[in-house]
Amino acid sequence: MNSPLLAAEGVHKTYVMGRARLQVLRGCDLRLEAGEFVAIMGKSGSGKSTLLHVLGALDVPQDGQVLFRGRPVFAPPRQRAFYATALDVLSRYERQRIALRRRAFGFVFQFYHLLPELDVLENVLLTRMVGTSVGGWFTARRAARQDALRILNRVGLGERLRHRPAELSGGERQRVAMARALVHRPEVLFADEPTGNLDATAGAELMRLLKDLHAEGQTIVMVTHDPSIADQADRVLRLEDGRLRAAAAR
Amino acid sequence: MYKLFLTFRYLRKRRIAYFAIAAVMLCTAMVLIVMSVMGGFLDQLKTKARGLLGDVILDNRSYSGFPLYEEFIADVSAWPEVVKATPVIYAYGLLRFQGTSQTNTVQVVGLRLEDVYEVNAFRSSLYYETYYPGTTTLAEQRQPLIGFDLEQPPIPWRGEQGEVVGLGPRPVLPPPFQEALEKSWKAGLPEAEARAAEFAETLLAAGLPPIVGKYETVEALGPPELRGDPRPGLIIGRDIIARRLSDGRYERFWYTPRGCLVTLTLLPMSTTGTVDTPIKQPLRYVDDSRTGIFEIDSKHVYCDFTLLQKLLRMDAAERVDPATGDTVGQVPPRCSQIQMKIAPGVDARALTGRLAAHYHSLATDPRFAGRLDLNDIQLIRVIEAMTWEQSQAHIIAPVEKERQLVTILFGIISLVAAVLVLCILYMIVLQKTRDIGILKALGASSGGVALIFVIYGAAVGVVGSTLGSVGGYYFVRYINDIQDALTRLNPALQVWDRSVYSFDAIPNTVRTEDIVAVIAAAIAAATLGSVAAAWRAGAMEPVEAMRYE
Repeated sequence: MNSPLLAAEGVHKTYVMGRARLQVLRGCDLRLEAGEFVAIMGKSGSGKSTLLHVLGALDVPQDGQVLFRGRPVFAPPRQRAFYATALDVLSRYERQRIALRRRAFGFVFQFYHLLPELDVLENVLLTRMVGTSVGGWFTARRAARQDALRILNRVGLGERLRHRPAELSGGERQRVAMARALVHRPEVLFADEPTGNLDATAGAELMRLLKDLHAEGQTIVMVTHDPSIADQADRVLRLEDGRLRAAAAR
Repeated sequence: MYKLFLTFRYLRKRRIAYFAIAAVMLCTAMVLIVMSVMGGFLDQLKTKARGLLGDVILDNRSYSGFPLYEEFIADVSAWPEVVKATPVIYAYGLLRFQGTSQTNTVQVVGLRLEDVYEVNAFRSSLYYETYYPGTTTLAEQRQPLIGFDLEQPPIPWRGEQGEVVGLGPRPVLPPPFQEALEKSWKAGLPEAEARAAEFAETLLAAGLPPIVGKYETVEALGPPELRGDPRPGLIIGRDIIARRLSDGRYERFWYTPRGCLVTLTLLPMSTTGTVDTPIKQPLRYVDDSRTGIFEIDSKHVYCDFTLLQKLLRMDAAERVDPATGDTVGQVPPRCSQIQMKIAPGVDARALTGRLAAHYHSLATDPRFAGRLDLNDIQLIRVIEAMTWEQSQAHIIAPVEKERQLVTILFGIISLVAAVLVLCILYMIVLQKTRDIGILKALGASSGGVALIFVIYGAAVGVVGSTLGSVGGYYFVRYINDIQDALTRLNPALQVWDRSVYSFDAIPNTVRTEDIVAVIAAAIAAATLGSVAAAWRAGAMEPVEAMRYE
C-alpha cells in the first residue's frame, strides 16, 4: 500500500496553563491523499486549529506522529521534550519542519496575518524570499516576481500591487494571504477558517477559488465550523472529544 | 534575503528606531569629541613639553651635578647614534626686575645657546630671535633704545587703536637690531606680520612693518643708541615678563622692555651639599621663551652655561685636603644634565641603557684615575639616562591618565545607548510578535528571525555612529568658532580661557583611528544591545506568536 501524502497517527496535544491542563487532541488519526480536499469541522475550542497547526508542522504534539510522504515530521516522542528546549533549533527535525513550511506547505489564516509594512506584492514575495540567500535572490527575483504577479492576477489583485494591507478590504486581504500561500506552489494548502472573517460574497468568492485550485490538483486541508463551507470539500471530518471522525452524511 | 529586506523596511517604517539611532549618534559624537579634545590636548602637551629637551637626557637628580661631562660628550660624539650633546645646569634662584618690587622664584637653566639650538627646538620658542634673527645672545650686552631718523620725512604716528595721533620722525633701532629687523621684513616676517603687529609698540609707522616688541626710547629725539653697562644676557619665560590675556595674546609688563636690568640671586652649593652665601648677578633681559607649558614658561629663566657654572661654583677648582689644607689636585667641573639629539631612526630607549652604562664606566676609567674622589664617583654612579618622554612623564602621564579616565567614563555613559537599543528593539519585538509568527509559518528559522534583529541593531549602530562621527567631527573642527560664538553671546559661557590654559585654542583635530575605534565600538554596543531582543524573537513558537494579543 502506498503511503499517503500526509498522515497523522495518534496525535495528542495538551495545553498547560498554570495548574490547569487542557487535553485538546487525544489520539487523532488522519490519512490525506494527494489532490484531496478535506474539511475538518468541530465546535469552537474543539482543537481544529491546533490539529491544523500540528499537521502543518507549526506546532509540536506531545505524543503521536505526523508523516509527510511517509517520513516523520517530529522527533520520536521520547526525544521531543528535549527538543522542545532552545536546542530545538539544532535538531534535524526542526530543520525538516522549516523546509516543509518553506516548500511543501502553504497557510491561510482566519485573520489574514499580512505584514502591515509591506505592500501586496511584497507580502506575496516574502514567501519566496524566505530561504533564499541574498545572492540567490538576485537570480531568482525575476521568476519570483512573475509567479507573484501570476497568482495575484488570478486572485484578482493584479491592479493593487502597491497597496498596503490597511488599504484593502477583508476579502482582498484574504486573497492576498491566499496568493502568499500559493506563490511557492505548495503540495498542501492549510486553510484555517478562511472565510470566518469575510462577508457572504467574499466568502463565496474565496471558496470558488479554493475549489478551482482543488480542481487543478491542489491538496487542501481546511478547518471550518460552517457546514455549508465544509460541504464543498471532498471529505468532511468532525473533531469531537479530541478525535477525528468522519462526518455523518447530509 | 528576507532578513535584510525586513531589517531595512523596519528601520524606515518604525519611527521608534530613530530614537535608538539618535541615542547612538549622540553617544558616538560625545565620545569622539572627548577623545579628540583630550587627545589633542595631550598631543599639544607632548609637542610643547618636548621643545626644551633633547631626544635623550642624562641626569643624576642632584643639585650638585656630576663631573666628566666634557669627556663623556667627547666620547659619545664619536658614536654614530649621537648627533649632538650639550651640558645644561639647573639651579634655583630669585629674579628681581631692577627699579621694581617684583621678585620671582625661578628655575635657572644654564645652557650653551648655539649648542642647544642644535639639540632641541628652543630657538623657535624665542620671541625676539624670531623677528631679529641672530640678536639673541647670552653674552655681555647693553640695552638697545629706539631712536629717530631725523633725516627722513616725518611719518604719521598711530595710537593703540591704529588712529593717527600726529606726524613724527621715523623710529629706528640701533645696530644690529635694525638690520636684523629689515632682513626679516625682506624675508617676510616669520609667523606673518599680522601676528607681529599684535605685539608691536604704539610706534607703528604708517606703511611700514611694525617695530616688533617692547623697547625703551632715547630720552630726547635723536639717533638710536645702546645704553648702560654691558651685562650678560638672560632669557626669561614668557609668563614671567608678560600677562596672558583671555584671547591668547600677551600683554608685556611696562617694566620689561628688551635689555632691561634684572638681578638673579643664586645659592651655590658644594659637592658635599653645603649651601654657601647667596650670590647676586645683574643681567639683561634679552629675549623670552614660550614653550606653551605654563609650568615651564612661568618658572624658567635661561643664562649662559659657563656663567652659571661659575656662579654656582660648579667650575673647575683646586681640591683642598680638609685635614691639612693642602691642595691635592683639581675638582672637575660639573653640570646638572646632558641633553642629546640622536640620529633619526635610532631607538632612544635602547640607547639610554648604553649611554648610562658608558657614563658609569667613566668612574673607573683609568684615564681619570686620581681626578675623582669618592663623592665624584658617587655622583656619577647615580646618573640615569632617559628619553624626553620619560623625563616629562610627570607632566604627560597625568594628562594621559585623565584622557583614559574620561574616555572610559564617557564610554560607560555610552552604554546607555546600548541599553536604549535593547529597550527599543525589545519593544519592536513585542510589537512585531505576530509578524514573527507569520515569518516562521512561512519557513523562517529561529536563527533567521533572530538575525533580523541582530542586523537591525547593527544597522542602528552603523547609521547612528556614522551620523555621530560626522557630527562629532564637525563639532570638533569648529569647536573654537562655537566657543567664540558662545562667548560673544555671553562671556560667562567661555569654557576655554586662554589665560588659564597654555594653548591658544581648543584642540580641534580628529584622528582617523579614533573615528574608526568609536564607530566600531558603537556598532558592537548596538549589536550587543540587540541580542536579548533577537533571542526572544528567535525563541518564539510560531503558533504562540500568531496568537499574541
